[in-house]
Parts: sequence; structure tokens; C-alpha cells
Amino acid sequence: MAPVSPVMVRPGPWQRLRRELFASRVDGLISIGLIGGLVAVGLGLAKWVLVQAQWTVISANSTLFAVGRYPLEQQWRLWLLTTLLALATGLSWGLLRALPRSGASARAWPRNDRWAVAILVVLALWRPMALQLALPIQLRWWAITGLLLLARWAAGRWGAAIPASARRWMPLIWPLLYLLGMVLISGGLGLVRVAPSDWGGLLLTLLMATFSILLCFPLGVLLALGRRSNLPLLRWGSVLYIEFVRGAPLITLLFLGQNILGFLLPGGLAPDRVWRAAWVLTFFAAAYVAEAVRSGLAAIPAGQLEAARSLGLPMPQALIHVVLPQALRVALPATVGQFISLLQDTTLLSLIGLLDLLGTARTVMANPAYLGRNAEVYLVLAVLFWCCCAALGLGSRALETRLNPTAPSNVTPSR
Amino acid sequence: MTRSDAVMIEARGVEKWYPNGFHALRGVDLTVEQGEVVVIMGPSGSGKSTFLRTFNALEDFQKGSISVDGITLSDDLRHIDAIRREVGMVFQQFNLFPHLTVLQNLTLAPVLVRKLPKAEVQRRALDLLERVGIAEQAHKYPGQLSGGQQQRVAIARSLCMEPRILLFDEPTSALDPEMVQEVLEVMQALARDGMTMVVVTHEVRFARQVAHRVVLMDAGVVVESAPPEQFFTDPQHERSRQFLSQIS
Ligand SMILES: Nc1ncnc2c1ncn2[C@@H]1O[C@H](COP(=O)(O)OP(=O)(O)OP(=O)(O)O)[C@@H](O)[C@H]1O
Ligand SMILES: [Mg+2]
Repeated sequence: MAPVSPVMVRPGPWQRLRRELFASRVDGLISIGLIGGLVAVGLGLAKWVLVQAQWTVISANSTLFAVGRYPLEQQWRLWLLTTLLALATGLSWGLLRALPRSGASARAWPRNDRWAVAILVVLALWRPMALQLALPIQLRWWAITGLLLLARWAAGRWGAAIPASARRWMPLIWPLLYLLGMVLISGGLGLVRVAPSDWGGLLLTLLMATFSILLCFPLGVLLALGRRSNLPLLRWGSVLYIEFVRGAPLITLLFLGQNILGFLLPGGLAPDRVWRAAWVLTFFAAAYVAEAVRSGLAAIPAGQLEAARSLGLPMPQALIHVVLPQALRVALPATVGQFISLLQDTTLLSLIGLLDLLGTARTVMANPAYLGRNAEVYLVLAVLFWCCCAALGLGSRALETRLNPTAPSNVTPSR
Repeated sequence: MTRSDAVMIEARGVEKWYPNGFHALRGVDLTVEQGEVVVIMGPSGSGKSTFLRTFNALEDFQKGSISVDGITLSDDLRHIDAIRREVGMVFQQFNLFPHLTVLQNLTLAPVLVRKLPKAEVQRRALDLLERVGIAEQAHKYPGQLSGGQQQRVAIARSLCMEPRILLFDEPTSALDPEMVQEVLEVMQALARDGMTMVVVTHEVRFARQVAHRVVLMDAGVVVESAPPEQFFTDPQHERSRQFLSQIS
């Protein structure tokens, strides 16, 4: 090998690989061993997925996995909701790109986005075919994907032209869409009612998870504030609640909730098993979110509150405008970690007899026609959950960088 | 200088115990008149910060009485909020809000507390930033400024509430030496305009040039209170002489 010249050229990928994996003889041996192991496992898995596994158990039950026993003649409501969600996602995505916080990445299609689009397109083309869906349904998925991308493109192109006053109200489409989604799913306002016991599969899992995530967050913030309050009753109440919930396994709380929640909540709020379970999940996660938020609050110097108070801000305003924005940013990664746990904890619903993803999977596997197909089912479940959690994680990372006020130099504030 | 005889702060026999039982203030008296600049000096741990922070109820006290701008400090929350609107405070660690821009730091309280129109407050904020010499930084975040600039923003933030009294707790102690002067100059200009100020500081030069009165605290009591010339050249108490020999 020629002697390294003092003027270092930026190493190419091959050289870098060589330097990082084969720096010494021992390193090289370890690397070869690990790579060999990985290749063997990868090949084995690929062979199983492509050759041995029998995927009819998934394709024949795909509707069941997606929405459970949701009545067929009402499923158009779910299609409508999916379409609206795709539209809102595309719009939000495009707007975020059109209005970057720091001028640096004002590119229309940054590299990350091109990857995301590629993955979306591949999924949209391949997944419906892999599931052997009927052609009209395949076409629907393609149309929805196309709509998402179109909205993304349009919002990215013209988003910056929307006046700031209108832009401030844009995030409201999400809560509105959530309420609309609730109506579409459960009925009411002229739509036929579909009882919660008919919801199932991915639909039920996502519904439970989003409901609990949305409600446990404000509840957790209030508990965290209560725990640091000067009022003894509030403080001890919060401590007692948090420690009790954190000391009990979720599954016992779920069973407990099925039995006693009917007495605790005013009639109509928890009328059936599904909603009772949703409330238990919410109250459970709130205790953990409270602990995450508390660590965020502890990270904010006391001087911040003192400065706000000495400027004459009353306590609630000092918290809302000064302390919480900073504390929640610190607490964001831990909080999203709790959301991810919550999403995974929804699988416990199957143990109290609800037909969430796992519950649906168990009924499918109980069918003698699919004897021995457990591995296929569990693999699909694992991948589905992994996708949801990865999306949450990516979202939280994006939010974190967006909320960081000082990192980029020459920042132009959003307003 | 516009000094009148109106009393702005009146503290009588103030005593404070911290929750752990430490007797931090042991009967402190102080009267501050309108337009007066009072510098409080004293060794570390003598209770200067504690005393200063009772004026805007950041610390409570157990005995004695304090009235600020005619309002008696009591547990009544409305009184406390009323006093805080009239009393600005500048901290050793600046305590700017890092998630808001400089301009937003200034406008937050006037808009929320005084309910003034945003445009008007922004205009006043920009004027104030001009006055403390950092108008061009209005849209940066505090983390992007030097210490001296941050402390000047903090002063402007207090002024934006149009307070009648300004409290300073060691405003230059956290600054690099070359930035101390720029902050002291801003404070001197405020004193010249007739602002009532109570300043805890170790800056002897500032005390000599700007203060109307220097107060020495030790172990939770006021030991000496005298015009700066007399305080620094002819202190009446043994403890004051001892303190002066330590800092010079
Ligand atoms: N929260 C507290 N609990 C108990 N004791 C306290 C507390 N805060 C301060 N003290 C004590 O009260 C005394 C006065 O504190 P203070 O901060 O007022 O002193 P200071 O004169 O401002 O000193 P420095 O020059 O170091 O700032 C000190 O002995 C300190 O240890
Ligand atoms: Mg102090």
C-alpha cells in the first residue's frame, strides 16, 4: 500500500468501510463473523418468507385484520375516512416543507421526502397485489396514494402563498378530522350506528391508541403540574394516583376497569367494554406521561418561572407561555416513548376479549383451516406494529428539530 | 435628577425564616423614595437577595411590613399581582425566555398582562431595544446573544412593562469583565432618567457614581445606610470598615 499522503482526501465509501470494519486483524475476524451471521439469518428469513410461508392466511383474512367485523355495507365510511386522512397527511406534509422554520432546507423535495415517496409508491403498488385484493380495491388504494402525493405536491408548491392569518388555523383540520372520523366510524348524525363490539383489527387498535394518546397527554401534564403544586391536597392526590397506577400491571387494571369503571364514570361515558378499556388505557398512560413531563419540568431552571411571575404573569399564564413550552420540548422524547409503549399495550386488549389486531389474529389462528400458520400471522403483526412505532418515532424527531429555537443560526421566526 | 419625597418602598422590621428554620432576615428597615437609587452591598449570605425578592413577593416573610408604591404586601394575591406589574426585576442569570425571540420576550407580558394591542407594544419594544443598543437583534433568540446583550434585553424586557421601580440582583456578576460596562451604562442612563432603583451589586464604581445611598447588610440586618461618599470614605460602623477593607 502506498504511504498515506499528508493531504487527506475524503475517503470513499469503500475505504471507509475498510477502515471501520477491518482496522485490525481481530476487527476483521469479528466483522467477517458478524457479516456471515447476518447473511445467514437474512437468507434463511428470505427463503422462509418467499418459499415456505403460506400467505393465504393473511390474504384471505385481510379485511378481518384491517377492520374486524365492521359491516360490509358500511365500509364505505372507512374508505371515505382513509381518503380524508390521506388528503390531510399530504397537505400537512407539503405545508411543513413549504414553510420550513429555518431557511436552510426550503427545498421542494428534500432527499428524505423522495425516499418516503418511493416507499409509499412501492407499498401502494405491491401490497394490494400481495394481498390478492380484488381489482377495484387495488384501484382504490392507488387512487388514495395518488391523492396523498398530489396534495403533498400542491401544498408544497403553493403553501407559502397562503396568508399567515389563514395558516395559523391549518392545524385545526386534525382535531376536526378526528371528530369527523369518530362519527364516521361509530355512526350518528344520520349515519347507521356501528356498535364498538363490531370494530376490530387494525381499526380498533389504532382507534384505541389514538384516543388514549390524545387524552392521556393533557391528563399527564395536569398530573405532573399537580405533583409539583404547592397545594398539599393536589400534590398528594397526584402522587398517590401516579404511584398507584405505576405500581399495578396494566392487565389487572384492565380487568378491574371492566368491573368498576361503570360505577366511577358518569353514565354514558363508558357504556361498553371497548370504551371502558380505552379509558383504562388512558388513565394508565397518563401516569407515565406525568412522570415524563415531570422530568421536563425539573429541567427548567426556577428562574424562568420567577422571571415570568416578576413580570406580572399570573401562574396559569406563566406556565402556559413560559414553563410548559420548554418543559414539554425536553419531555418530548420520553413522552413519545410512552406513546409507543401505549400502542404496544393495546395488544393486551385481546386478553379481555376485544378483537384488536392480536385478538383478531388469535381468532384467525384458531380456525382449523389455518393450523400451523402462526408464524406468518405473528410476523405480519410485528411488522405492522413496527411501522406504526417507527412513524411515531420519526414524527417526534422531526418535531424536536422543528421546536429547537437556537440550533440553526440566522433563524427567521415563524411569525 | 427628579427626586421627590414620595415613598416608593417602605420596609419595617422585616423578618424571614426559610422553611428549614434558617433566620435569613432579622428585622430589616429600608425606605426608598421616588427617583432614588439605592445600592445594597454586603458579604455573601447576608440576605441581600432574600430582602430584594421580598419587594415583589418572590419570597414571603413572617414578621414586619412592606409596602410598595402605596400597596401593602399581604397574602392577597390581587395585591401581589398589582405590585408585580409596577416592579420590574433583573436577575443575575438574565432569565430570558429561550424559546421566544428577543422581541417576543419583551412583548409577552405587556400583551398578556396589560392587555395592550400587540402592534403598539411591538413599537415600544423596538424603541426600548434601540435605547439599550440592540435593536438589530430583535428577531434573534436569546441563546444567540452575548451575556452583556442578554442582560440588556432583560432590562428592556422589564422596562417594557413600564414599571415604577426596578430591582437588580447582581446584574453584572455573571458577565465577562468586558461586558460589565455596557450593562452598567444602561443602568446609569435609567438612573439619570429618574427611575427608582434598588441594586444589589459589588460594583463600587457604579455605587459611587450613580447611587444616592449605599446600604450595607450583614447577617440579616442593615448595618449602615449612608450616601456613597460618606459610606466609602468615612463609614460609621466597625462592620462596614471591615467589609470595605475586604472588597478593596
Ligand atoms: N431556599 C433557602 N432555604 C434555606 N436557606 C436559604 C435559602 N435561600 C437562601 N438561604 C440562606 O439565606 C441566607 C441569605 O441568602 P441570600 O441569597 O439572600 O444571600 P445574599 O446576600 O444574596 O448572598 P450572595 O451575595 O451570595 O448572593 C444564606 O445564608 C443562604 O444560605
Ligand atoms: Mg444573592
